[in-house]
Amino acid sequence: MENTKPASLPVLLKSLLASLGQALLLVAGITFLSFLLTYLSPGDPAEQMLRKGGMMVSEEAVEKKREELGLNEPMLVRYGLWVKNLIQGNLGNSYKSRKSVASELASALPYTVSLTALSMLFVVLFATPVGILCARWQNGVFDNVWRGITYLFSSLPSFFISLLLMYVFALRLGWLPVIAGKGWKGILMPAMALAAPLSAWYIRQIRAIVLREIEKGYIDGLRSRGIPERTILFRHVLKNSLLPLVTLFGISVGNMLGGTTIVESIFSWPGVGRLAVESITARDYPMIQGYVVWMALIFLAVNFLVDASYRFLDPRVRRGGA
Amino acid sequence: MRIQTRHTKRWLAVSLVLLAGLFAVALAGPYLVPHQPFKPDMRQAFSPPGAGHILGTDNLGRCVFCRIVAGCGTSVFSALAVVTIVFVFGTGMGVTAGFLGGAVDRVVMKITLVFQAFPSFILAVAVAGILGNGLANSVLSLCAVYWTTYCRLARSLTVSLRDMPYIRAARVCGAGKLPILVKYVLPNAAPALFVTAALDVGSVVLSMAGLSFLGLGAIRPTAEWGAVMSEAKDYLQTAPWIILFNGAALFIVVTVFNLLGDSLRDALDAGGEI
Repeated sequence: MENTKPASLPVLLKSLLASLGQALLLVAGITFLSFLLTYLSPGDPAEQMLRKGGMMVSEEAVEKKREELGLNEPMLVRYGLWVKNLIQGNLGNSYKSRKSVASELASALPYTVSLTALSMLFVVLFATPVGILCARWQNGVFDNVWRGITYLFSSLPSFFISLLLMYVFALRLGWLPVIAGKGWKGILMPAMALAAPLSAWYIRQIRAIVLREIEKGYIDGLRSRGIPERTILFRHVLKNSLLPLVTLFGISVGNMLGGTTIVESIFSWPGVGRLAVESITARDYPMIQGYVVWMALIFLAVNFLVDASYRFLDPRVRRGGA
Repeated sequence: MRIQTRHTKRWLAVSLVLLAGLFAVALAGPYLVPHQPFKPDMRQAFSPPGAGHILGTDNLGRCVFCRIVAGCGTSVFSALAVVTIVFVFGTGMGVTAGFLGGAVDRVVMKITLVFQAFPSFILAVAVAGILGNGLANSVLSLCAVYWTTYCRLARSLTVSLRDMPYIRAARVCGAGKLPILVKYVLPNAAPALFVTAALDVGSVVLSMAGLSFLGLGAIRPTAEWGAVMSEAKDYLQTAPWIILFNGAALFIVVTVFNLLGDSLRDALDAGGEI
């Protein structure tokens, strides 16, 4: 019975399970490092929780709260307690707003997701054709101009690009609002600011991927059969370049999540990045910790999905070869 | 081949000259500037670029050009400090892991994987945020991000070198572990590591400016470019030149280091082939 099934599925499952095991190990590492960050941070959580409006609290009350929170336990026990709470979705309460960290993050996350999704859309729609055309006209005028532009954008900090956009589109031309607000107009500038440096990187990568593909023997074969250059480029080369593109996507999600901290603060976009920067200013350690854990786990999940989709997309990996 | 070598050598020379110029500005510049970079002069506030102040003045009437020169050292040397620390620490860890192999190797590699599981800028922001602001803390936080590259690279170089015939020959001749490591493994792993380091400086400069921009790096009154730009964003409408010129300064520094990294890579590759 087993033999009649396609051989690919068990192999696929096995490799998926192996990377799931690897991912679990990473989750343990991520949570431990995030825990360690706050463990090493100055400030006493018990005192922070009791203190309201700058009022001093008695030594006994703090000590009682410490006992209650398990702060007197050894480090590894505290880590265990923290992970147990984490699994239940309880990351503690923010020092600043007194609300639960998880709910604060959950209400900010949709803004960051929509921002990254829109800028990713910008990047893909813009960088893919430009990258392909750069490869098509390798070392031509178009390629050289874009080499200059991509170089410029990859050597400029994202906050500088953001401020330039703000100056041009909001202050000079008055097309877009300076403070993002929640409408569709507000998301445009932060999305562009995130997309610009990433597009530069994508254009270079896509150019390299397409060039590598064009050099392969089967392209010569297609040419000798008289297939038009355009069909070769858009049907065959593009199809085979998709796979490395999926990998690029996985890598760039990490860039995006990091980039939102700066861009969201500049444009006052109410996502997790701005929340994190505000929490840092306010020394709101549970919030910072929650942010770091969530972002790392999201990054891990995205990479896991990219890895899994890679296995489905590439027949060589699917059949267990290569 | 010869022409290409001469070409890459020329680029290396050019980038080294530019680097020397950058160092000169960073070290001597602050003593040579025409105005006091930290002394407010409210009568001169918001003067646009012109004859008196070549790049204009800021909200407190301080000369933008002088402040850019004064902040140069902070950006350049803190980035170099980060790269030096991660180079030494990462290489040490990587070479040890690769050379010893076994459990040490596995543990070190897993630790690097955990660090790499965090989106890099988020790790830096978190570490800097927990440690509190200040230049030393932002240097440390970027070290936490960048050391893994060197560790993994040094480890894979060591593993590939470990079984080379000449290393085996040294072992047969009775050379101890440490002499083999220091005399034969490290020198052969060095070029790739140096090129990586040179190419990393530019990105460290940008990350450092990003941290300062968020208020996590250098604190006032340091004229660190990221911090200056963060302050100047409130005057974007009245004095856009502050941000423009500080951004241009960042771009120049990043470009000089990228040029050095690229030409070093070409030069060392060409050197290996001859």
